[in-house]
Amino acid sequence: MNTLAAILATLRRATGSITGAVGFTIFVLVILAALFAPVIATHDPDALDVMNRFAPPSAAHWLGTDHLGRDLFSRLIHGATIAMSVALSAIALALAAGTVLGILAAYLSDRGERVILILFDVIAAFPSLVLALAIVAVFGPSTGVVVAIVALTMTPHFGRVARAQVLTLKNAPFLEAERILGASGARIVFVHLLPNIMGPLVVLASMDIPVVITIEAGLSFLGLGVRPPLASWGTLIQDGYQFLSDSWIPVVVSSLALALATLGFTLFGEALRDAVDPRIGRER
Amino acid sequence: MAEPLVAIRNLKLEAGTARGRAAILRGIDLEIGRGRILGLVGESGSGKSSLAACLIGLTPANTSAISGEIRFDGQNLVGLDPTAFARLRGRRIAMIFQDPMTALNPLFTIGTHLVDVLRHRDPGLSRAAALSEATAMLVKVGIADPEARIAAYPHQLSGGMRQRVMIAMALLMRPDLLLADEPTTALDATVEAQIVELLAALRREVSGSIVFISHHLGLVAQLCDDVAVMYGGTVVETGPVDAVLTDPRHPYTRALIACEIDEDDAPGGRLLSIPGEVPDPVRPMTGCIFAPRCAHAVETCRSEVPELRTSGDGRRAACLRFEELP
Amino acid sequence: MTRLFKDERLGYVASRLLTTVLIVFGAMVLLFALTALVPGDPAKSLLGPQASPELAKRFIAEMGLDQPLHVRLWRFFGAVLTGNLGVDVISGKPVVQLVASVLPYTVILTFSAIGLSVLIGVPLGIHAATHRGSASDTILAFVSVAFIAVPSFVIAIFLLLIFAIWLDWLPVLGTSRSGEFLDEARRMILPTLALAAGWIGFIARLVRSSMLEVLGEPYIRTARAYGLSERLITYKYALKNACIPTIAILGLGIGRLLGGAVLVEIVFARPGLGRLVYEAVSERNFPVVQGAVLVVVVLFVVVNLIVDLSYSAIDPRIRRSSGQGAGA
Repeated sequence: MNTLAAILATLRRATGSITGAVGFTIFVLVILAALFAPVIATHDPDALDVMNRFAPPSAAHWLGTDHLGRDLFSRLIHGATIAMSVALSAIALALAAGTVLGILAAYLSDRGERVILILFDVIAAFPSLVLALAIVAVFGPSTGVVVAIVALTMTPHFGRVARAQVLTLKNAPFLEAERILGASGARIVFVHLLPNIMGPLVVLASMDIPVVITIEAGLSFLGLGVRPPLASWGTLIQDGYQFLSDSWIPVVVSSLALALATLGFTLFGEALRDAVDPRIGRER
Repeated sequence: MAEPLVAIRNLKLEAGTARGRAAILRGIDLEIGRGRILGLVGESGSGKSSLAACLIGLTPANTSAISGEIRFDGQNLVGLDPTAFARLRGRRIAMIFQDPMTALNPLFTIGTHLVDVLRHRDPGLSRAAALSEATAMLVKVGIADPEARIAAYPHQLSGGMRQRVMIAMALLMRPDLLLADEPTTALDATVEAQIVELLAALRREVSGSIVFISHHLGLVAQLCDDVAVMYGGTVVETGPVDAVLTDPRHPYTRALIACEIDEDDAPGGRLLSIPGEVPDPVRPMTGCIFAPRCAHAVETCRSEVPELRTSGDGRRAACLRFEELP
Repeated sequence: MTRLFKDERLGYVASRLLTTVLIVFGAMVLLFALTALVPGDPAKSLLGPQASPELAKRFIAEMGLDQPLHVRLWRFFGAVLTGNLGVDVISGKPVVQLVASVLPYTVILTFSAIGLSVLIGVPLGIHAATHRGSASDTILAFVSVAFIAVPSFVIAIFLLLIFAIWLDWLPVLGTSRSGEFLDEARRMILPTLALAAGWIGFIARLVRSSMLEVLGEPYIRTARAYGLSERLITYKYALKNACIPTIAILGLGIGRLLGGAVLVEIVFARPGLGRLVYEAVSERNFPVVQGAVLVVVVLFVVVNLIVDLSYSAIDPRIRRSSGQGAGA
């Protein structure tokens, strides 16, 4: 109950500014679109209507149609489902892996800590899109590979923050007291450490959503991420870009949708950060 | 007596805070004699540093109103145009700060600090000439091996050494008015004694006046000619340092001296041995500012604001009852 | 004192060098592990099912895939250290040669983008900090977020649409065939802008916030108390301090720009490392991917090393000796 009240209070502070409120609105709209895509979409996103290709926006097709006559609005709405499921599953994986490795690094011997930190440095030494290309080269493109890649590239980020958080808490008096009273390591980690380090990590995660959306869209734009005919925002932009000489509407509409979503998530993430702790995640 | 270097009349300073408008200075009347060292004493929050900030024109960003008059050599500093004020700073007015650890820029050498300040005073000066003048000044403030120190960065010097650098910077200006805002508070006792000795020895170097801010009466007695005791944004008593400290007239000055004897020097300078709290700057002053904590307060003390009145040879005190007090 | 200082700095340089070498080796192991991880028949999955048996055989021999793992890792290390990044399985050319022929395009694009973002971002940040709360500050804050948030390839597409197609001001695609400098410079404008946009916003914001922080420091108050001009204070005393976080971030920026360059190169049909890797991935030409990615990583890590060391040259206080983890 207290936690819920605290979360609501944070949200209220985050949406206090205009930019925070705009970001939150876009965030909610994208989540709704992702959850209820089949209900919101006006057409079957994969229904072809080749006679009606490159139709301009109209009452029947709100945002027009693409090179195969598919309804762009419906495809964009379904794109939200893909973007959000990739983003949330990748971030959840990275958050879990990063937190475990970060806590381990903080508690392991010096040598163990150094190994984990070097591992983080090695992964971070690959620009995420470049590492993604190398992995796709081996495993071939698919949505699952995209999730795995993004999770891998994000793990060091969460791991470093988790480690830093644990290090500041490790010798806090209340943990010291628990230890003296004979609490088990597991109890200390799950009851005391995790709840205390989760706040900043969740804020970081929310700030990473637009980054993940960008990577997924970038890979899909290259044809190396989510495979057609699935309607990812990246593949929609790619489709539009290839037929730029026929019509500029599809590429503009789908690029704008992607830009609006990443902008909204960024604004919301930053407002959330400022409401929780202005110091975290500044380096991004 | 000749016309004072600085004459402050009814100086008021207000600042916007989260709790409303705070009266930081509630009408200061004070004079700083030419060539004299004035000690400014009081608890933290009494307005000593804010008064210094007004004198050098660097009031904090939340300042909402400033009124009254500061005559500096005949020129009113209140409401002075910022560029004109900037011309006074570093030429006629200089300041030494409390914490020498943070008052010097960590990315620039001691030499850069001194040379920039010198060239501000005298733009025609060559870098080499400025450097040799700076080196000579470092010797004067007691820094051994000045050629090496001048190439050093602040973090490579000890706290006492950094404060000596700050003093050198100030003296290079040959200012008419030097403000020293608790220059020894951040230093340990031995270094503090050395710095005070240095300031005393350098008196002859400074042709102008010095305002020495401290909550430490012993230092003020050792160094200063005059003293002004501040409380709650007002000056409660002022006069020659020997007279005021041996025969205080204002009950607050007495309490301050009693505390000093009791517990020497509490960090932060809050006087815990006087019952009650320091006055809240957000609350308006309706009577004597010290009345709520004063053992001698009577009914009129709470309703009538006492003026600074002559209480002896060159002395003044803001107490309605100083004649009757034992 | 001075002597000790020199030694400490030397120690810092040595520890940073060691970490860099470790990271490069780690990256090599990771890249190697990727080939070893390939499920099933490596030749089939790397070359695709349609590869001819001859090609597969040649590939297996060339990659040494018939050898035990540790021998292969050892060979890979040895080859890379002697500057041999393997052979393109399709054209038969050495990967080093392929990479070398396109590397300049990517490096020039990335560094002109960094240069442009510093050139525009730093003054904007200073302006915003010294005019805090003004209308231009508010507008700049929003524009910065927008530039940061919108993916660079989306910006690239919009720039292409507006300036090359609708307005027809600048040449559209590719590099200059004739290699003429002016033509090539004109063709660089849009890709550079697309790549730099996010970093302009990022640097402007960073400089603004660090300037504001620095301007509140006691040493700035000292400079004011000594009457130094606002110009000297802003551009000499405050800017140097405010630059430290900016420089620290530039190293990371190179990495993200190299990633962004892949997409921008493809939108503008420019040659470069990104395009090389992309095409190699599409052809499942793994030696080229491996070699080119390794070059990107080395480039990134070395730039980061240089940034870290130059950062330590600006800031005379000796920083902790921990490597990238703390600096990144």
